Amino acid sequence: MLRVLFSRLLGMIRHRQMDQDFDDEVTVHLEMLRERFIARGMSPEEAHFAARRQFGGTTQMKSNLREMRTLPAFEAVIRDFRQACRQLARTKGFTAAAALTLALGIGASTAVFSVLDAVVLRPLPFAEPDRLMAFRPADARGIPHLLSYPDFFDYRKQNQAFEHLVSYRDADFTLTDPQPPIQVPGQIVSWDLFLMLGVQPQLGRGFLPQEEEPDAHAVVLSHSLWTKRFGGDKGLLGKPVRINGTLFTVVGVAPAGFQFPVEAPAVELWVTLAEDSATRDQRGARMPEAVGRLKPGISPDQASAQMDLIAGALAQQFPESRNTARTLVQSEAERVAGHSLRPLLILSGAVGMLLLIACANVANLLLARNAGRARDFALRTALGASRSAIARQLLIEGLALAMLGAGSGVLLAFVILNAVLPLAGQSIPRIALASIDGPVLVFSMMLAICTSILFSFAPALQAIGAGVAGRLKEGAQHVAAGNDRFRSALIVLQITLGLVLIVGAELLTAGFVRLVRRDPGFRRDHLLTFNVGVSGQADFGDRLLERLKSLPGVQAAAMGRPLPLQGHQMRIAFDIPTRPVPASDRPRSDAAIVTPDFFSAMGIPLLKGRDISDQDSASAPLVVVVNQAFARKFFPGEEAIGKRIQTGKGPGAVVREIVGVVGDAKQAAAGADSDPIYYFPSQQLPWGVGTVVLRTTGPPQQLESAVRAALAEVDRQVPIHQIRTGEQLAAGVIAQMQFSIVLMGGFAVVALLLTVTGLYGVLSYAVERRRREIGLRMALGARRGEVLSMVFRHAARLVATGLVLGLAGAAVGGRLLRSTMLGIEPLDLALLSVACGAMVIASAMAAYVPAMRAASVDPMKALRSE
Amino acid sequence: MGIAKDRSEVLQGTLDLIVLKTLDALGPLHGYGVARRIEQISEETLRLNEGTVYASLLRLAQKGWIHSQWGASDNNRKAKYYSISKSGRKQLARETANWERISGLIGRVLRLESQG
Repeated sequence: MLRVLFSRLLGMIRHRQMDQDFDDEVTVHLEMLRERFIARGMSPEEAHFAARRQFGGTTQMKSNLREMRTLPAFEAVIRDFRQACRQLARTKGFTAAAALTLALGIGASTAVFSVLDAVVLRPLPFAEPDRLMAFRPADARGIPHLLSYPDFFDYRKQNQAFEHLVSYRDADFTLTDPQPPIQVPGQIVSWDLFLMLGVQPQLGRGFLPQEEEPDAHAVVLSHSLWTKRFGGDKGLLGKPVRINGTLFTVVGVAPAGFQFPVEAPAVELWVTLAEDSATRDQRGARMPEAVGRLKPGISPDQASAQMDLIAGALAQQFPESRNTARTLVQSEAERVAGHSLRPLLILSGAVGMLLLIACANVANLLLARNAGRARDFALRTALGASRSAIARQLLIEGLALAMLGAGSGVLLAFVILNAVLPLAGQSIPRIALASIDGPVLVFSMMLAICTSILFSFAPALQAIGAGVAGRLKEGAQHVAAGNDRFRSALIVLQITLGLVLIVGAELLTAGFVRLVRRDPGFRRDHLLTFNVGVSGQADFGDRLLERLKSLPGVQAAAMGRPLPLQGHQMRIAFDIPTRPVPASDRPRSDAAIVTPDFFSAMGIPLLKGRDISDQDSASAPLVVVVNQAFARKFFPGEEAIGKRIQTGKGPGAVVREIVGVVGDAKQAAAGADSDPIYYFPSQQLPWGVGTVVLRTTGPPQQLESAVRAALAEVDRQVPIHQIRTGEQLAAGVIAQMQFSIVLMGGFAVVALLLTVTGLYGVLSYAVERRRREIGLRMALGARRGEVLSMVFRHAARLVATGLVLGLAGAAVGGRLLRSTMLGIEPLDLALLSVACGAMVIASAMAAYVPAMRAASVDPMKALRSE
Repeated sequence: MGIAKDRSEVLQGTLDLIVLKTLDALGPLHGYGVARRIEQISEETLRLNEGTVYASLLRLAQKGWIHSQWGASDNNRKAKYYSISKSGRKQLARETANWERISGLIGRVLRLESQG
């Protein structure tokens, strides 16, 4: 086959030479014929015509040969295709079942691929995205950390690998021009952000180097902010707008659709790191991340090696402020895909299994149908139809079927996407870009071609494989035996993959439920939280809390940050003065800053000692409150209350006394364990206003309008945002998991359905084929029950084999899942038995109908037929 | 694929087999030589346009069962000589066996039918 294809391809390239050769051959041939006729006594003229007659029409011969030398004309393929379509139209029931099965497999795969394409495969929307690298310092375990500004400046100045190295960090800004004030997400970036990305602002310019100086206040607005808030006024350029109470000059407007960083939420404005002037000399204050553009010809590895050198030198020079002597240079696209990559790959694997199950089902359907056509194939082979012609016909039939499946599959993918994308929300970067577009359509067409080869290969082999003679003699009966083994193997494969999918969905769901149900360590009922913008008033926070406390329905009001479960963790190193350790081994723990009443408002129980109170002012003795995990980890077997810890280094170091121990509220977003945390009184570490926390007497949502009114009374200029109840707070970052779980669950259900219908098909076919044998057995005295159990035993053998293989697969799959989501126990016996049970019950149901049919065979009729 | 195509497939297959056998038996030949041999052995029962020999030669060449080479004919004309290849010999053996089996089988089937 291949050889012919190759020589035909060659024929397409060298057709002129070959035409010439053939002309020469024909001329010589005619010449020799003519001479022969002359020798027999014809006149030269007669001989010429006789030779022509005997040779046949040269023109048609030439065109025939030319056609043979090249690939079959498009027309011929279309003809085969039409033939296949007619064949499919004749067997409507079969076609519908097979196309629907394929549509499920291809549709699900297409939907997953479109997400994978949007999140992972599509290049970032910047100039030469391959050269954009995320740069982060990392500790000895390779875990990335944030940068400090002094470090960033050193890396930026000393490296020779990056054209531009740009720092960036999230920050919310209060925009008070024009009224009413709103809170918008923004970014604090280095001056050359737009230069590095190769993006030209739609209006005005990017930042200038001198705009990084502390007293410079320049802002670039997003296109949507510019149009929505400022009506797309071009005159805004160079004008001041009030942001966080300071006047910023608008120097540019980003192009529509521009987004940096590309992950959500949509950034509305960019300002320079002048905004972070307060921390630009503090090596301990780790705030921004960085992204850089590699110089041409520099590889990421070279860049990494260079950055490692700088990191090493910095680590030696400033040992107390760091524990990062290494760096990570990673493609920015990879960083963006980040945590979503693994779940998406696992979903791709799952959907691949679903597709295989669908293919196996269709292959089974085709095998059953082709068994009926076996006599037909055999006769045609005997009449001279080449085996490859029959195989080609079957493959083209498969392709037609797959096209039908892919067409409906694409529609299905559209439906799936619309249903599941909202579940992901903003938890998966760039997922909103997922759509059924060109590359996705190409993908589904490729799937159609690949699957058609997969599912029609075996039937084609079967059709042409067995000896012609044998099949002509015995017809369908003979093929069936080998056919059955193959079909059984397919069913076992389906059961295996189906079980893996079911267990996967179960594990995800169980992990999810565990995560949702886990005790967050605070009371989630009657709890309302919200963030407020920046105020110009010095005592804004105190006055707001005072006002909120006086509202009816509010039991307690406090502020704190970061709140539990939000994924924004603040970790601060400290020393225990009685147990000095080297600078590099300083203990670290989560930390939070809270106002008095925070614990009662959050519903975190005070276990020992006292709460933080109004008396813990800046001038009072410095104190902290720790959680149980902290006490247990750093003061095992001792009384933590009264112990002292020292925070800060050098002249800024201060000693604080532990005055209380509270319950473990979980700080990490997805963690199952309680991490140690210590709480600073806000007056003794005045780092700005935190999130407001209200304990309410009634349903928390009802308080929202009263809260808005109270805030407006205190400061009309301050916006409110991110209003959430305790339940929403506890739900935390589960959107991404929801997305995976809904898809996995859907796949598992479809897999189970397909497997069961496949099993049903195989068993009914087997019963149909053995009707005579069953009739004979019954005539010889076999009882109904024996016939029933014969069919069930057949099913049981298949199912048992599939389950054993499936359990092995599930064990491997579970391990993979555990790496994507905490709280998953891959070898949960209860879950495994539920999955097996579901498969067994479904299989029993599938076996019931064929078994009953077998048991009701009338021996006389069965023996008389044939 | 209708009946007409099937029939032509039989004839093509048969002609290919004959050409292959001819090249195997007589060694390198040009198209004219092959045509003469067929004329000779078929004793005028197989009447065909001699041009079809070239279609057969092309099919066989594409499958790698024969090779071709330009050479000089008896009276010093430039002519293309075809010779059977190693894989062509194998194919010939296979096809011969197949042919014998099928023709025997068809014979039996036809007898069965007439008894039927």
